[in-house]
Parts: sequence; structure tokens; C-alpha cells
Amino acid sequence: MSSPATGTSKSIQDDAAAAKKRKGPGALATAYLVIYNVVMTAGWLVIAVGLVRAYLARGSYHGLYYSIEKPLKFFQTGALLEILHCAAGIVPSSVVLTGFQVMSRVFLTWAVTHSVREVQSEDSVLLFVSAWTITEIIRYSYYTFSLLNHLPYLIKWARYTLFIVLYPMGVSGELLTIYAALPYVQKTGLYSVTLPNKYNFSFDYYTFLILAMVSYIPLFPQLYFHMLRQRKKVLGHAEDTTKLE
Amino acid sequence: MKHYEVEILDARTKAKLCFLDKVEPNATIGEIKSMFHKSHPQWYPARQSIRLDSKGKSLKDEEVLQHLPVGTTATFYFRDLGAQISWVTVFLTEYAGPLLLYLLFYFRVPLVYAPKYDFTSSQHWVVHLACVCHSFHYLKRLLETLFVHRFSHGTMPLRNIFKNCTYYWGFAAWMAYYINHPLYTPPVYGEQQIRLALILFLFCQMGNFSIHVALRNLRPPGSKTRKIPYPTKNPFTWVFLLVSCPNYTYELGSWLGFSLMTQCLPVAAFTGVGFIQMTVWARGKHRGYRREFRGYPPLRSPILPFIL
Repeated sequence: MSSPATGTSKSIQDDAAAAKKRKGPGALATAYLVIYNVVMTAGWLVIAVGLVRAYLARGSYHGLYYSIEKPLKFFQTGALLEILHCAAGIVPSSVVLTGFQVMSRVFLTWAVTHSVREVQSEDSVLLFVSAWTITEIIRYSYYTFSLLNHLPYLIKWARYTLFIVLYPMGVSGELLTIYAALPYVQKTGLYSVTLPNKYNFSFDYYTFLILAMVSYIPLFPQLYFHMLRQRKKVLGHAEDTTKLE
Repeated sequence: MKHYEVEILDARTKAKLCFLDKVEPNATIGEIKSMFHKSHPQWYPARQSIRLDSKGKSLKDEEVLQHLPVGTTATFYFRDLGAQISWVTVFLTEYAGPLLLYLLFYFRVPLVYAPKYDFTSSQHWVVHLACVCHSFHYLKRLLETLFVHRFSHGTMPLRNIFKNCTYYWGFAAWMAYYINHPLYTPPVYGEQQIRLALILFLFCQMGNFSIHVALRNLRPPGSKTRKIPYPTKNPFTWVFLLVSCPNYTYELGSWLGFSLMTQCLPVAAFTGVGFIQMTVWARGKHRGYRREFRGYPPLRSPILPFIL
């Protein structure tokens, strides 16, 4: 049997370990996350500036995608790291939810906009790219300030208010872009596999894209109203310091 | 004999739901659940979770009142588990679906393939073999559900049946569509591949059945006891020396065999997803065994010898 002295010191160690687990990322993880979020904020600022400069140079909204194509691909794809952050436990979000959100962005960036050249000059691309850019600048700066325990109310307000316009804007841009891609996908059979083949499998990308568009119908309202509820909780009770659950 | 008084409170609102007086000291939780059901007919015993603490673990039906840490006036907390459905019902439904759906594709009923193929038969003998194997597999599962398995839980939440049936029925339809397709391509290595695959499949079906029988024999009829499974005289059970859940190991083997036999990507996908799920279950079961039994054989792995 352990003596009372070792008994208490062990339980203090256990409590400290438990408290550390509850508090989230350690010092090293926090430093890494701050750097990550700063880099991402900077990246999306580069995209924002790129869009504005290209517009001023050309004098039209048309074809601005090409001026920010590379940073868009780089930083949007980089967001895949956020799935690892959840899996590693340094960020308290669900792996599945984060995975789903990031994958849908990556899908639109690579499997639709990059893959179907003909839609790159569509205005709908500018619509969702602008929505993403503003959203991500606010989101990543929000995380940065939160990690440093110095969150300006303006950023918190922006994050939980601007989505009201940005979210439908982004969704419209995405849906219109997928819709614009449909005829080209059908004509070229892009990413599609037909029978017969030795793996006895088939895939029709055209149908898949249509199903993807249909999936927005149940998904978008759920996510939108979830954000509205979050807004009420976060901004509505700004004076409260206690968590509700 | 001193009688107990039992009061049941709602675990969340702490409202008094039921008061039972003159309860026998040797009454079980199961009997108390029946009494509670009488005053609240919408909460049949299977959907009642009775605990000592409002946030605590559910008490088992077999627990006896006088052996619990309660005074002569016992306070229990109740939580509604939601609509329940029996495991037997769920298993029968989720297995009958694939059995029947596959046959619809095999016989090429109208609206599945182009009209000129309606009710025609595949020219490849492996397609007929695959139908026999697939049907045998699910028939075996149905019969095991009815005559072999001894379930420790009577029921599960109702929403599970929709989730489970979508999984089984969906995958069965998906693979059956390709295997029975007029443009199906038989395995690359022909008869050799099919023969090897069939041997693997049959071997693992027998293995899986042997494990189910061995597990059943660990448990007397009507009981919910848990014991460490050990190898028996049946050589198929000798794998218990290396694995905690060989039923899952054999199930994986069966589906690998079927994948090889049909050389069909959807089958391989189903095998993969099933493997992931079974590994999660096997590791949980393995952990449960290690926690419950002191001398649990250290050489055993959850599902794959030495690997997983």
C-alpha cells in the first residue's frame, strides 16, 4: 500500500495531468497554431489584395480568377492541415465535420474550377472566391486572436455577423459554378468510368455533380441556422463569462 | 420481512415520476421496471434506464434491490432511452434485405438493366457461383440470428434499424448491380482465381460459424454471462490463441474471398468499410475482456494476429 505522502503527490500529478488535458493544446501546439493561423490570414489577404489590384488594373470583374489562381489553390488546399489538427486533439473540433467542410472547399477548387477550364472565366467563380476570401480572413484572424487571449470584439462581431450575407453568397457562387460545369463534364466524360472494365465499376461524374448540388438543399439550411444560433449565444450574451453547458 | 419503498425521479428534471411501496427486498431492477411501466405505459421496460445517480451508469436488470447501496426508501433516477427495437428484429431485417435485393439483380428484373436484358441469365459461371455464395452468406446469418446467437442486450435504439439497413441494403444493391451486369468482366486469372477465392470463402464461412457456436456455448440459455473464450476441439476455434474476436477475422476473410471471386471494386469497398467497423468493435471487445478478466491471455490481438 502506498504511504499517504506518495498517495497525495500521485493524486496531485493526476489532477495536473487531467487539468492539462482539459485545457487543450500545450504551449508548443499553441505556438504552432498561432503561426498557422497568422500564415493563413496573410495568405487570404494576399488573395484579397490580388483581386483588388487585378480589378483596378483591368477595370472589369471578368476573369479575375486567373490573377489569384495559384495562392487560392495553395492556401485553400493548405486548410487540409486543419483536419490533422482535430485528429491530433490540438483543436477541439470534430474531425468529421471539419473534414467535410475542408473537403467540400478543396473539391470546388480542384475538381470543379481547376478541372473544367471553361468555367474559370464565369462570374460565379468570383462570387464564391470573394465570399471565401472575406470569410477566411476574418476566421483565421479570429483564431489567432483567440489563441493569444486577446480577441477584439470587432473580429468576434464580424465572424458571427458577416456570414449572414457571405454564406448565401458563397453557396450561390458554388452552385452556379457547378451548374456551369455540367455540360462540359457530360460532353467530355470527365472523371467518369464506364463499363465494361476489369474492376467491374462505373462512375458518372455528371450525375455525381448533380447529386452534389442537390445535397446543398438539406445541408445549407442546417449549417446556416446553426450559425445563427451560435450568433445569438456568442453575441447576444456578450456580458456573460460563464459557458452555458 | 421488511419491505422497501422505491421512488423514481426524472434524471434531468428531478421530478417525482413514481412511488412504489411494499417492494420486496429481493426484487430485481427488471421487476421494478415492470412496476414503473404500469404507471407509465408509454415507457416499456426496454426503454427505461434506471440509475442510482442522475448522471450515473444504468443499473442492470439482474441487480437485486437489497444488494444495492440504498436505504429502505430507495431513490432511483430514470432516463428515457427512446423507442427501442429488438436486436433480433434488426438483424433479420438488415440481412433479409441483401438476400432478396441481390436476387432481384441476379434475375435481372425489369427497370434495372436495359429492357433487352430483362430476365436473361449471365453467360459467366462465376456470376452464378457468386449468387450462391452471397445468398448462402446471408441465409447463414439469418439462421444464426434465429438459432445460434445469445444476445446480451434485448434491444437497441429504433433509429439504428434505418442506419443499419441503409448500409447493408445499399451496399448489397451496389455490388449486385455490377456483378450481374450484362457487361460484367470475369476475374483476370480465370478459374484459378475463382477456385482460390471459393476455398478462402468457404473456409472462412465455416470458421465464422464455428466461432459463433463456440461463443454460444460459453453462455447458458437465457443468461447474459461473459466468459473468456478458449480454443475447443474444433480446429477453426484454435485461432482464439491469437485473436480475441476471430468471428470478425473470419468475416473479413470471407469478404476478401468474395472480392477476389468477383473482382468487383464495390465488393472490395464493402470489405474495406466492414473491416474498419469490425476493427473498432474488436478493439472495444478486446479492451472489455482485458478490463474484466485478470488473467486474460496476453498473446491475443483484437482482430489480426500480432497486427491489429
